[in-house]
This record gives sequence, C-alpha cells and structure tokens, in this order.
Amino acid sequence: MKFKPTNTLALVALAALLALSAWQFWPIEEKITQGLDIKGGLSVTLTAEPLSGSELTEDTIARVETILVERVNGFGVSEASVQRQGQNAFLIQLPGVQNAEDALKLLGEPGKLEFVDLASVTDTATIDLIGQQLDAEQSGETTSLPKLDEGSYEAFMTGEVITDARVVTDERGNPAVSVEMDQQGSQVWGEVTSRLAATQSQVMIVLDGYAKSAPAVQTAILDGNTLITGSFTVDEAKGLAAVLQSGAMPAQVGIDEARVVGPTLGKESLNQGLIAGLVGVALVALFMIAYYRGLGLVSVVSLLAYGVLMMGTLGILSRMNAFALTLPGIAGLILGIGVAADTSILIFERLKEEIETGKTHRSAAKSAVRHAIMTSIDADVVTLVSAVALYALAIGPVRGFAFTLIIGIVVDLIAALLFTGPVTRMLAEGTMSKAPAFWGVKGGGTRG
Amino acid sequence: MAKTRFDFMGKRKYFFALSGALVALSIVALLFKGLTFGVDFEGGTSMMLTGANDVTTEQVRTALEEAGVPDTANATIQPTDDGSYIVRTAESDTAKAQAAFAQVAESLGLPDQDANVTTIGPGWGKNVTDASLLALVVSLAAILVYISIRFEYKMSFTAVLALLHDMVIVLGVYAISGREVTPNTIAAVLTILGYSLYDTIVVFHRIRENAAGLTKMSFMDMTNESINQVAMRWLNTGLIQVIPVLALLFFGGETLQDFAFAMAIGLIAAAYSTVGLASPLYALWKEREPKFQALKRKYEAQASK
Repeated sequence: MKFKPTNTLALVALAALLALSAWQFWPIEEKITQGLDIKGGLSVTLTAEPLSGSELTEDTIARVETILVERVNGFGVSEASVQRQGQNAFLIQLPGVQNAEDALKLLGEPGKLEFVDLASVTDTATIDLIGQQLDAEQSGETTSLPKLDEGSYEAFMTGEVITDARVVTDERGNPAVSVEMDQQGSQVWGEVTSRLAATQSQVMIVLDGYAKSAPAVQTAILDGNTLITGSFTVDEAKGLAAVLQSGAMPAQVGIDEARVVGPTLGKESLNQGLIAGLVGVALVALFMIAYYRGLGLVSVVSLLAYGVLMMGTLGILSRMNAFALTLPGIAGLILGIGVAADTSILIFERLKEEIETGKTHRSAAKSAVRHAIMTSIDADVVTLVSAVALYALAIGPVRGFAFTLIIGIVVDLIAALLFTGPVTRMLAEGTMSKAPAFWGVKGGGTRG
Repeated sequence: MAKTRFDFMGKRKYFFALSGALVALSIVALLFKGLTFGVDFEGGTSMMLTGANDVTTEQVRTALEEAGVPDTANATIQPTDDGSYIVRTAESDTAKAQAAFAQVAESLGLPDQDANVTTIGPGWGKNVTDASLLALVVSLAAILVYISIRFEYKMSFTAVLALLHDMVIVLGVYAISGREVTPNTIAAVLTILGYSLYDTIVVFHRIRENAAGLTKMSFMDMTNESINQVAMRWLNTGLIQVIPVLALLFFGGETLQDFAFAMAIGLIAAAYSTVGLASPLYALWKEREPKFQALKRKYEAQASK
C-alpha cells in the first residue's frame, strides 16, 4: 500500500463528504429512522420450527417469510417490517402499535386457508358486504374485509392441498396467479369446478376467517393446475400467491418474544443514551488534549468529523430503509468513539517514536501515518470480522449493536485516511517544529 | 516518556498465576453458583404501570390475580421512584399478557397508559443462546484464519486463548456478583471478542516488526522490548476504549447499562491479557523453534558469564 501525501486533495474530499453527510442527516429527528425501542411500538420475534416429520430447509423458511410479510401487510401499519434473523427467526416490527393483542393472535396462528363455494355461505349480509368490498378492491381501492362469522360458511377444501402458488403472466401479459394441488385436492377441485363452471359461480378464498378473493370459475379444472386471472397488479398477485401458500404454513411458528414500548419510555432511553454519548466524547476529548496537547486537538476535530460522517451514513441507510437506530445501536455508536480515537493514538504515538529516533518532523510524520494506519487496519479488520459474524448469525439485540460498530469501523478508517493522516503530515511540514511543546512532540532531528 | 522500561516478560509467572487463579475462580463460581438469568431467558412478562402513586403493591397483586395471571404469589412487583411499578410475572403467552396489562391498568383506575409490556416465550433464551454460540464459533474461526494469514498461526492461537480467558472472567464476574444475564449481556460478551483484540494486534504488529532479522537478543527479551515500545499506545487505546463504556455505565438507561457492565470488565481483562497472557505465551511458543532456541541459549550463556 502506498501513500502519496496528497494532503490538500484529501481534505477537500473530506469537506465534500462532510457537507454531504450533514445534508443527509440534518435534522436528525427526520432523517435518521428510530427503532421501535425508541419510537414506541410492537416488536415480535418469531421462530420457525420444523413440523414433525419434516425438515427446515432454506426454501421452507423463505415461504414462512412470504407468509409473515403477507400477514403483517394485512395490519395496515405504515413502516411495518419483517426481518430474517439468524437461522430461523424473524423480527417483526409494527411501529406505533400499542394494542398488541390482535396483532399477536394473528401472527402466532398456524394460518388456515379455506376454499368456500360462495353460494353456500348462509350469512347473506356478509355475502353482500364481501361482494361490495371485493368489487371495491378490484377497482383499486383497498378496504379491510370483515371477519366472517364462524359457522356461516363451510369449506369444501383447505389450503393443505396446495403444493405451489406463484405469480405468472397470463396470455394477455397481465399478472396472474398459478396454483398447483396434490392429487387429493385436484380430485375435490375437479368435482367442484365442474359443478360451478356451468354457472360461472364464485369460489371464495378465506384466510384465517377473512375473505381474501372470490374468483369466478370459468372451466372445470381436473388436473389441479389452476390459473387465477383478473385485473391484478403485480403486488396484488404476489399477495394472493402468498395467501394461497399460507394455507400450508410449512413450519411451526411460535412467538418467542413480544415487546411493546410506549413512546415516553423510548424517548427517555434515547436521552440517557445521548447524555452518555456526550459525556463519553467530552472525557475522551479531555484526555486526548491533556495527553497529546496540540495533536489532541487534531484528534478531537477528527472525532467530530467521524461523528458527522457516521450520522451521514446512517441517514443515507435510513433513507434506504436499511437502518433504524435502536438502543443497542446507540451503544455501538458510543463504542465507536473509542475505535475512532484509538486510530489517532496509534498515529501520534508512532510519530513521537519516529521523531525520537532523530528523524525530521516531516519524514517522521509520513512514516508514522503509513505504519499506524496499517496497524489500525489490521486491528479494525479483526473487530470487523467478528462484528460481521454477529450481525449475520445472531438474533436479538446484538445485531443493532454489531451493525453500528461495523459502520463505525469503516467510517473511522475513512476519517483517518482523509483527515488525521493528512493533517498530521501538513502540521509536520511547518507548524510543528515552530512550537514542538504545543504539539506535544520533541524538537525533531536535522537529518532527512 | 514514549517508551517505558518494565520487565513485563520477567513477571510472566506472576501473570500466569493471576490468570490461572482468575479463570479457576470464575469456573468454580460458574459451576457452583451459576448465572442468574433474567426474564429473557426464563420466559415471562415484564410490564410497567405508570401513574400508580396511590396504589399499593397488594392492590397490584390482587388486580393481577383477577386478570387471570398465573402464579401471582411469586410475581415481583417493584415500585420505582417516579410512582410507577415494574411488574414481572410468569405469564409467557404474549396475547394473554397484553390483555392482562390492559385489565390491570383499568381495574386499578390508572390514567391512560403508555403500554410497556415485554413477553418472552420459554424458547427465546435458548434460541438466543444457540444463535450466539454459532456466531461465537464462526467469529473465532474467522479471527483464527485472519490472524493466521496476516500474521502467523501461533499468534492467532495465543490471541484467541487470551480472548477465551477474557470471556470466562466476564462470565465469572456475572456469576459472583449475581447480576442478571440478559441477551444484551451475551451481545456485549460477543462483541468483546473482536474489539478486545485491538490492543493485541497493536502489540503483535510490533513484535512481528522486531522479529524480522532478530539476532541481538532472545525472542522473549525482544517481546518484552516490543511491549515497552508500544506500552503507551497499549495503555492509552485501552483507556480510550473504556472511557465511553464507563460513561454508558453511569449515564445510560437500564438497557445500555447492561451492555456497559459486561463490556467494561471485558475490556479491562482484554488489555491485561494482551500483555499478561497472549504475548508471553506466544514468545514461549516461538522459543521452541530451533532458530530462537539457539538465540536463547546464546544470550542466557552470556548473561550467566
């Protein structure tokens, strides 16, 4: 690795990055997404266990995820999310939800998908309502459907027979849903569709007691391979496919953990975290200035640059929906202060050491920055390796922590390369030898 | 000033004895006293009732019982300074816990509540632990591979040994102090992993630099010299890592303190084990190589003349 002392260039690049960052994260409250433990809301962790006699494959887990996403979308909460964690866990976040009872019931259930002959539904009021609302939905409006009264309908088939459901395009190029069934299902389906096709009657698809769709049967389907067409958007088709798949939730899903956090408590925790962070930065700054004098000031400025870059990065990630600040994340940020200051320490100590061997300030600075940054990279990579393993494999709070630590390490290296290094070299070219005591270094040799 | 003169390696027997004693003590404490696991591992519900100045503990207990919460006799009902109660019960069904919370708040006539309810199913602790163990094994393996490639395998094994030593001590402190172990604790212990190797890498970097073309002293003396050369770096980076963690320990809220406690102990243990364990073990191992055996004989002979 070779370092050219293109100091000015580095500082210009840094200034540009800082401006970009500030623009990305200011005002903080709007630009950095807050996690549920700060903003308030319901967070649930579910784990999938294999059904007896089957195994938990990657494919099964992907299907469980699709189904969970479909269910979560059904809550109609904005910014709700489903996140895969570790091997077989899912973190579901529903911001702002305070009454968790209904949500928890729906998430935890195995999911029951039923096929009903619409004509057989006894509750006529419900039929009318469903008819209206399915019409409304087809015209693009989204309304929540009423839950059907138990006993008001009878299913001729349940979702267990479905072996596959996926989005395809029909012959006119519109999104449609293709369904495949097992042998038993195909038989029942064949009988029912033969009967209903004559009058083009509707079959109602019911998930967990909610009517989801009511397509009309066009022809008798004897081999089970069914195509549901209509004026779907791609997302609607995906949703319907997910509903159809969810008839057979391919794993046993249990709620492991549910946390409801009120907005007041979250706000309080955030403030405590901020105070701890400020105190931490202040103490580190004091220590650096007391021990390294003028160079300490350089490291304080580099800490500030680090902070701004860090927030900018988090702001950008927030906008990409890839980040939300949680309490463990704050802990990771605060630890990052130490990582950032450590790099300065390595540079300054190496500088002092090289000056003591009799080098001039200028050549000592060049060599010190190069060596210190190499050491720092090695030390940082080791931290990075374990943080990445944690983020990828662990479940629970550790992930938020690992994530901010990962970003912190990368941003720290950028700050060292673009600020601490170049500034140390620039100072060594003139200012430092005029007032070595202020900069906390010795006079410097005459060689070099 | 920038360089210290201290015979670290000469004291290695004391360091080994200290480490051995700390590890033994930790293991004994872990075996006989064990760790205290929080609600996150045992399963159960923790809820916060606010604005309950005029309510007594017994009233809360009765309200819990009426709301159908199991085993209320063993529920902990803990008043806080600002007129709230933190209630921990054995309820591990999430939906029931939510319903009970609403019912209790209503029957006690509490003002509109900011719901703060956490329910942990019985499997959660195991899932967290299993996933953490997997993460632990993978990161240890990754660290071993990285240090073996960038440095050498003898460095990677001694560094990881020191790491395990630090983790055992952290767990030992938890066992002895009886402090509750939460998933946050596990998170902190796992993070110490990479973070605490920072100073080890700094020292090993210097040892490697000085080992190239070593002829003037034994490997052990060179190791000692290397540590002295980077002693201020080692001390200051360690201090700077601990300072923000201490700020977190004193000013952060409950969750953040959880992290900070384990991290603080881990970082202190890690700083010590770099000099007290990783470096001398590495030097001892290296001195078994023929090249360095010869150096050792040469300089020991000189010293005894």
